[in-house]
Amino acid sequence: MKTWHFILVLAVAGLLTLFYKGLWGDPRAIPTVLIGTQAPMISGPEVRTGETISTDRFHGKVILLNFWASWCLECRTEHENLLAINRRFSQHPDFVMLGINYQDREKDALEYLQVYGSNFDHVRDIKGAISIDYGVYGVPETFVIDQQGIIRYKYVGPLVGAVYSNLTETILQPLLERRPSPSS
Amino acid sequence: MKKTLIITLIPFLLLFSTVSSRLTATTVEEEKIDLQVREIAKTLRCTICQNESIWESQAELAHQMRALVKERLLKGESPEEIRAYFLSRYGDYILLAPQKSGLNWLLWAGPFVLLAAGGLFLYRTLSGWVARDGAEKQDVPPPIDDRLRKRIEAELHSRED
Repeated sequence: MKTWHFILVLAVAGLLTLFYKGLWGDPRAIPTVLIGTQAPMISGPEVRTGETISTDRFHGKVILLNFWASWCLECRTEHENLLAINRRFSQHPDFVMLGINYQDREKDALEYLQVYGSNFDHVRDIKGAISIDYGVYGVPETFVIDQQGIIRYKYVGPLVGAVYSNLTETILQPLLERRPSPSS
Repeated sequence: MKKTLIITLIPFLLLFSTVSSRLTATTVEEEKIDLQVREIAKTLRCTICQNESIWESQAELAHQMRALVKERLLKGESPEEIRAYFLSRYGDYILLAPQKSGLNWLLWAGPFVLLAAGGLFLYRTLSGWVARDGAEKQDVPPPIDDRLRKRIEAELHSRED
């Protein structure tokens, strides 16, 4: 076989491998540039009380941020799990959970929280600045920020099944116990 | 009477011209900012759309991104600083045209390399065909001479008879 025949076969095989990987990859696995970087500061009005909430006052704590909207069906799927996460970790002095209400009407967001209930605070992202600061593509999206204010985890999609177990057991629990995460 | 009317009107005319020139200046300034917003927005991808820039998209997120671009321009940030900010939040995906660095060069050079490789392949294949055709032509026996032609014609005539 001539050399250039070999190169041609190699190039075609390489292209096919790329196509194959593209076909079977996880579409939710959008690479984020934010992991390992300093989390942007958040400040905005709480959905129910209107009181200004700023992440400045949570310095030294593990923060779980969940971006959601009342029109988002997948957010409803994960809602019970979010409440369960806060029930489980809220007793820990280093844990804070915040919802970020994304591109929503105040009335709809309030109604959503009344219907589905909530045991943590929610900040309204009025101008979308918080979402852009966190490079949010859509809802739901979840971030975990460690005690040093560094983003350690991001997930696009609902926190259900294995994703939920992975978040609680291999991300949150080790962070709160200040031991290295098994996945890191 | 006419003179008095003109004198009375002069302050109003002056006031009107000052106000209108200020308005024009503001509009020009606004237009300049809007042009810059458009230039930057055309290079940023709407992350929730199908291959649309935030300038073309009607999505709420694109609208908010455009507003943020304008806000940052008004704060004095340069277009490069604004692009760098979006890049730091969303990564390469936010740029409609990939950056000319690192592995991205493959994307930029890839089509030209493939075109050159295709051209070379075509050239070699066609050259091969032409060479083979030439060789086949060389195998053709030399043209017949007059004596042989006359003999063939004679034989053909005899068959016709």
